[in-house]
Formats: sequence, C-alpha cells, structure tokens
Amino acid sequence: MPDIMQMGVRQIREGLAEGEFSAREVARAALDAIAERDGSVHAFLEITESQALEAADRVDAAAAQRALDELGPLAGVPVAFKDNMNQEGTHTTCSSRMLESYVSPYTATCVQRAIDAGGIPLGKLNMDEFAFGSSTETSAFGPTRNPWDLERVPGGSSGGSAAAVAAGMACVTLGSDTGGSIRQPASFCGVVGVKPTYGMVSRYGVVAFGSSLDQVGPFARSVEDAAWALQAICGHDPRDCTSQDLDIDFLSAVREGAQSIRGMRVGIVKEFLEAKGLSDEVREKIQEATGKLCDAGAEIVEVQLPHADAAISAYYVLGPCEAFSNLARFDSVRYGLADHGHKDLSGQYEASRAAGFGAEAKRRILLGSYLLSAGVYDTYYYPAQQVRTLITRDYVQAFEKCDAILAPASPRTAFKFGEISDPAQMYLSDIFTVPINIAGNGGMTVPVGLGSQTGLPVGVQIIAPQFKDANMLRVAAALEQAYGTASVAPEFAGEKAGE
Amino acid sequence: MKKLEEVLRDWEAVIGLEIHAELTTLETKMFCGCKLEFGAAPNTHTCPVCLGLPGALPVPNKAAIESIVLAGLATNCDIEKHSMFYRKNYMYPDMAKNFQTTQGPIAFCMRGHLDLEVDGAGAKERIDLGDLKPGESGAPGTTAANVTRTEDGYVAHVGITRIHMEEDAGKMVHIGGGEGRIAGATHSLVDYNRAGTPLIELVTEPDLRTPEEARLFMQKLRQIYLAIGISDCSMEEGSLRCDGNVSLRRRGSTEFGTKTELKNMNSFKNLHDGLAYEICRQAEVLEEGGIIYQETRHWDPSAKRTIVMRVKETADDYRLFPEPDLAPYDLSDEFIEGVRAKLPELPDQKAARYQRDFGLSAYDARHLVEHRATVRFFEACMDEAADDAGKLAKPVANLAINDLTALMNADASFDLEESALTPARAVQLIKLVAEDAISSKQAKEVLSAVLDEDKDPEAIVEERGMKQVSDTGAIEAVVDAVIAANPDEVARYKDGNQKLIGFFVGQCMKEMRGQGNPKLINQLLAQKLAE
Repeated sequence: MPDIMQMGVRQIREGLAEGEFSAREVARAALDAIAERDGSVHAFLEITESQALEAADRVDAAAAQRALDELGPLAGVPVAFKDNMNQEGTHTTCSSRMLESYVSPYTATCVQRAIDAGGIPLGKLNMDEFAFGSSTETSAFGPTRNPWDLERVPGGSSGGSAAAVAAGMACVTLGSDTGGSIRQPASFCGVVGVKPTYGMVSRYGVVAFGSSLDQVGPFARSVEDAAWALQAICGHDPRDCTSQDLDIDFLSAVREGAQSIRGMRVGIVKEFLEAKGLSDEVREKIQEATGKLCDAGAEIVEVQLPHADAAISAYYVLGPCEAFSNLARFDSVRYGLADHGHKDLSGQYEASRAAGFGAEAKRRILLGSYLLSAGVYDTYYYPAQQVRTLITRDYVQAFEKCDAILAPASPRTAFKFGEISDPAQMYLSDIFTVPINIAGNGGMTVPVGLGSQTGLPVGVQIIAPQFKDANMLRVAAALEQAYGTASVAPEFAGEKAGE
Repeated sequence: MKKLEEVLRDWEAVIGLEIHAELTTLETKMFCGCKLEFGAAPNTHTCPVCLGLPGALPVPNKAAIESIVLAGLATNCDIEKHSMFYRKNYMYPDMAKNFQTTQGPIAFCMRGHLDLEVDGAGAKERIDLGDLKPGESGAPGTTAANVTRTEDGYVAHVGITRIHMEEDAGKMVHIGGGEGRIAGATHSLVDYNRAGTPLIELVTEPDLRTPEEARLFMQKLRQIYLAIGISDCSMEEGSLRCDGNVSLRRRGSTEFGTKTELKNMNSFKNLHDGLAYEICRQAEVLEEGGIIYQETRHWDPSAKRTIVMRVKETADDYRLFPEPDLAPYDLSDEFIEGVRAKLPELPDQKAARYQRDFGLSAYDARHLVEHRATVRFFEACMDEAADDAGKLAKPVANLAINDLTALMNADASFDLEESALTPARAVQLIKLVAEDAISSKQAKEVLSAVLDEDKDPEAIVEERGMKQVSDTGAIEAVVDAVIAANPDEVARYKDGNQKLIGFFVGQCMKEMRGQGNPKLINQLLAQKLAE
C-alpha cells in the first residue's frame, strides 16, 4: 500500500471511493505517524483519537453507501487545528498557561465546517502563546521544531500547523494569520499556506488576537489541497457579522492556473525587493519565480505601494490595542488559571494574570493598554488607523494595474532556536506579510524550492485583490506547475513509505 | 440644614440626568440569541457570547437598533446615519468580556429635547420666573431663558445630548456580608442572565434647575418609552434607571460648580428627594466655606440622606476604541422613515387631541396621559359613551386623574384593566351622577363597592337603596318638617348666622338617609328660610 501520509486530498478521495483503503485506515495511519514523528517535532498539543476514529467511521459509512461526494470536500482527509480554535470537548489553550485546563464547551465554525466536510480531526496544534510571535518559541508548552531542520524554528505563530503538514502528520491543517502567522511558517516549512481575504472565513470560535486582522486559512502540501480546504471552510456565518457571502470556485481556479495564466498581470513591488533585511537567497527566488510566471504567460508589471514602510508601525499599534482588549477576559473569574486567596479582586486579577501570561503576551497587553490610554490614543491609535486607510488605498490602486502581486513571504529562511531574542527584530519577520492584514487582502505562500545559501525551504507570497482570492490560487497553481508539488520534509518522507 | 426653597433663593442648581432603559420588550439580547427574561434561574439564559467565552463574537440585534431610533425620533433627536460601536474597557466580574460594547462620540441619536409642563406646587421650586406673563419666555442669557410661563406654571425646554446603544452587565450577589452587601462578604456570585441585555442611555444637557423638573423629565420620558413600547420601564426592577449630576452656583454666576453624581434613585419620589437633599447638602457645605468633591453618592431613602460611594480623583480612563468585531452602522433613509412610520401617538399629541376633541382642560389632558392605564381607560370610556362622549369627558377624566390614580398610587398591584371597573360600568356610574341620580359623594361609595363586589353601579344603587331623591315635592316636605322642628336655629339664622344653613342641610340629609339631592335641598332651604 502507498504511504497515505504523503497523499493529497484527491488521492485520498479516490482511494476511498475505489475501496483501496478505508477512512479508518487513513485515521490509523495519521495517528501512527503522529505517534512516531511528533516526539521530535512537537506540533501537537492534544491528540483527539476517539474523535478521529468516529469521524473516520462516518466517512466509511458514507463510502459504503457510495455517498462520498455528498460528504464534502475533505471526506476522509486527516486534518488538525491550531490550538486557538475551539473544538467542543478538547482543550483550547492558545499555548498559554492561562488556558492550560480550559476545555471548550463549543466548536468554532471553521472547525465544524472542516469536520462536516468529512475531515478526520486528529488534534490541536502548537502555536505562539495567543498567536504572539513568529517562531512558536513563545508557546508555554515548548516550541515546535521545523521538520526540515529540527534545530530550527518552524516559524509562527501557526508553527504547529505548518510543521504537522510538512512532517506528514496531517494532510490539511488550519491556522490563523494576524500579521503573517500562516504565510511565514508555510514559507519556513516548505508548504502552501493561505490567508484568505478578511471576511472569507468565519472567525467565530477562534480565540481573538487582533479582531480586525485575524483570518483563518489552510496549510497543505499542494495548492489543490488548499483549495479543497477553502471550499470547505469559506462562506458567510451568521455568528460572525464580518464574514461575507461569496461563492468562489477555488478548485476551478487551480485547474485553470495549472494550465495557463496567459493574460494575467502579476505585479512586482520594487520597495519589497529593495527592503533592508531581505536575504539574497530569497531575493533570488523572487526573481526566479518572476521568470517562471513570465514563462507561464503572465505579464509582469511594476506596481507601487508607497506606504508599505509604515505598515509594521501601524500593525504594532493596532494589533496590541485589539489584543489588550481581547485578552482582558482572561481574568480568572469564569475560567482559566485562577490564583485564589487574595484579599481583594485586583489581587486575584494581578496574581492570576502574572502567572498565566508569558512575557510576550504581557508585553503586548501593556503596550495596548498604554497606546489606548487618554492622551496617547490620539498620538498612536488614530494615526495608525489613518495609515491603515492609506495602505488599503495603495493596494486598491496597485490592483488597478495587476491581478495579483508577487512578493517575499519572509525576509529569510527558518532561523535557529534562540537566534532572534530582540522582540523588535522578531517583529521584522513579518515585514512582508503584515501589510496584507492591514489592508485586509488575501495572501498565500507557495514553496519555490530551497534557498541557495541555507538549503532551507523558501516560499513566495502571492497577494490578491480583496475577495478575488481565486486570482492568487491561479498564480500559485502556475508556480506549482513550474516548481513541482511540495513534499513531506526529507527526514520524514522516507520512513514508513511503501512498507 | 436649610429647606430647598430657601437654598434655591441664593443658589442655582444645575442638574443633568443619565437615564438607562433596558429594551425589555425585545425577544433576545443585544449581541446573541439568548432570551430576555426577568427573574429566570441564575445563568440559564447564557451562551458563549454573553459569557465572554474565548472566541465568541457579537452579532447585533437589529430590532434593538430599531428601538433606539424610535426612542430618538420620539424625543426630537437627530438620527445619525453613520455611527459605530466602541469598546469601553474596564475589569469587573459582572462584565464577562471585561469591556462593555457601547457607542463612541457619535451615537445613533443626537441633539434632542423634551418640553416639560411644570404646574402646581412643583412649579414653585422655580424662583427665577419673575414677572413673566403667560406666553412669555425668559430673556436670552438669563437663567430663565429656556422657560415659558403658562397659566398654571411654566414650560421648560430641556436639551438631550444623545441616546446611545449599549449592553447591560450581569448581576453580582455578595454572600456573607450584611444585606447582600460587598462589605464583609466571604464570596460573590455572578448571574449573567442580564449580561448583554440591550440598553439605551439617554444623557440630558445640564438644563434642569429643580428636583421637580428632573422628576418630570423622568416621568415624561417614561411615558414616551411606554408609548413607543420599547421597555417596561420598571424603576423598581431596574429596567429604567436614573443617575443625576448636580452642582450649585450662586445666583447670577455663569460658571459651573463641582458636581456630584447621585445613584440609587429608583422611584420618582426618590429622584426628587435625593436631588433636593443633595442640593441642600451642597449649599450647606459651600456656605460653611467647604469644598464639594467630585464624587459618586448613594441616596439612602430610609435615612433620607446621600452617602459617598467613591471619590473620583481623576477621570476614569476607559480606553475607548472602535469595536473591530462590528462593522460601522449605516442607516438608510428608508430604514429611518420606516421606523418613523411606526411611531404611535405620543403623550403630548394625545393630550392635545383630548383638549381638541373632548374639550378637556390642558391640566386634565396632561395628567390623564401620565399613565398608560388612565389613557386606555379614558379612551375606552369615550368609546362606550359614544354620543355622550363630549358631555362625559370631563367627569371621566376627573375619575381617572383623581380617584383611579389615587388607587394606583396607594396600591402598586392595583391593575385598572383587570379590575371590576369596566369602562361600561364607569360610564354608567358617571351617568348616574350626571343625571343627579346619586350625589358625587355617593359615587365614591358606589365606586368602591363596584371594585369590591364586582357588580354594576346601577345594581349597587338599587341594592343599597341609594337612589338620590330629586323629587321636589318629597324634599320640600322634609325641608318644611326640619324648619318646623328647629325654631331656635331658624331664629338665629334669620338674625344673620348664615352658617347655620349647613346644620339644616345636615338635618334634611339625615332625615332622607343621605339620599336627598343636596343641590335641591340647599336651594329649597335658602328659599324657605328667606320667607
């Protein structure tokens, strides 16, 4: 039997339909892969074996009725969720001591949709605490390791989601992206990662970091697999009034893109390529990818994003402000870590929050609290909103000249644990991804091979006009045609295969 | 401490109100689908949203937006087409998310006003009306600039700054302390049933000058909210709550003094008395050379004084910022006009119609519309009276304003609509008086008998043999007999002691077991004694 854990969505669907294997066998293979590999990767915080097997049995029952198509796009596909997504009966810790013992009483819409679409839920994935970070090092439960080099970070904050797919422990995972938390780890781990346009996927049940910036999206090893996942999770949710009702055929976009992108205009941003801190190997890859897109029939145009350099500043005002307010509910009163025995309420608040939050969470809460305070608000928050308007306008204007933009996903390849200790330096990891969250557009990372200097995966970012996410999937499919589909990281690809 | 009227001679009181109303007539909460129900078992109407669980998101209740627009239109506000929700950040266990979703600088309703008709004894609290004649307004720039004199008092024009939409908090119960107080409590419980209840907060301009005006403002607003049906407006249960801001300044001064904020004024009387006390207290402090601190004070109705709750040394910093989970609101003209079309007849319009259609006095009409119960009763009676409506309007209004309002005030559980006094019976009763069948004194007895025994007035009059005797012949015989039996009194009367007429009337009434028509008896006695 072929290695199920290297298969994509279509292969799994076909295998199930033809009776080559059962969904239970898929679930078993995934659980075995996790048991075998996660000791070294540490992508999972919780494994939901019984839910996985139950879901698999539902898929097998449907297969027996020859009703697989009715089951949905992810029928029999091993999936896993970032630990900021509520799934009833599981721990939802956000990788924080604060929520170490918190068990979700309800299920997030994106999780529910993935399960309803036939996905086999394997468990919950490690992340930076409350999604504050770019390396998964701020997790209270230990970092996740990059499957391509276990001495290196997988990126973050959705590091567990990226690593699980890269190590072949899941076919599709969900992550969330507030400033690059899907696209940067996808780049570090050599997988596809999609942050759809803000409003494409319901945020209901996903623990909020920056409510106006957060967006859920999939990780997968192929553009097509990501499209199947988007097909399952996108769409209006009455519980999230910022979610939109749009009917986009992602799979068709991928099919079209794989054939040809003739006539598509792809924008290149000079400011990005000249950015300080962009490594040579990433710049080379962008230039190479530009050439490949040109070969595939795209017209390359230069576009301007004049306010790009203000994005990081605006982001580190708006993000902490929203985070400060969103994290205020973790007060030890209704749930979460509680340090009782204090004389008064503020004593309990202070002790519980001091014990429950890690350093980066405290830093952002304090920052947000300061930035919103009287007299300071007008100096930071208000101008940051104005910058947001300017950046959003930049993208609207840029997309008058092109259908998608090609940009770096991260300035460099995966770094070593502890290599970046200065928070401000760490914040610059997001320099190419943050503006997209500020503007609300969709952006995705596609692997384009290994860097010439480090030999580690490099991803490029493709950015789409708002709600035209199909555009970026088309371009991504064209790149994938040129570079080949991503595979499981070498260290995990050989084992078990073909046994 | 000096009396209020004395204080107000030297000091001008500046009062502004903040009035919260829960939109109790809605089915569900502001941002989730939980049911709105008062008195349910604790924490039974909750969900991830109103419990502030991680990951939950708000979805606004459209019906609540309609309610606040209705409130704005009924209080002469401008409706802002573009407004936003904001987060007001503060930590307290009854606020599950540790921020309250409310509105920012621009609320749904801005710049409104109400005109208050102040009459009777309450009008005397206002001492700056000087020589104004009915119809005249105070000169611009004077303290009476917002006032117009009327025949029996004055009209005060009171500005409304805004009405904004927000959500209510849960309820804390403290265990182990005295009377549920937090002091001495060993632990506290929180009930989140109320958390997320849609709340509208109206803020007035500091245009009120007397406790009576404040009371009337609250009363008028309550009438309006009840008329448009957005809240049950129970001050006792807290669905209508009022905080008062009050400061004093010397008569003639234009600068504001330091204000205190008054809480726990959960009835019209408490609102009036709490403000009156606080005005007198501030005057005493100031006159003794003391300073008023900006603080929140609690009105204790049993001790009849205000006590400090907390001192505000600095303004609270709520770190208000736009709520990112809710898109800005754009109200269309169609929506606003649609809401306007749903506006019912408001109390002022009703009062004007009663004067026009039924010939009621301004006073009667104004007081009739104070209660929904008396309005409904009056209108039902007018329907019942049909062709006699014009003739019976005044006595029906009197019955409603005097007797029935007194009954309602005396017993909060008295429900006019459920009572035995149906409009048909009321009209019958009024007709008995109008036709001189019974005296107005007897009418009161019949009224209480109707309420107690659930019978028609005519049946009661019949049973008790109360029918008033208006037969001139029968009365004349009694009058003659009384005159004959009391020669001494007759002599003294004729000597000029006219007061004795009362004695003769009493004797006649006694003779007729109270059923003689007093008007006729008086008339005949005067005539016979003059002979």
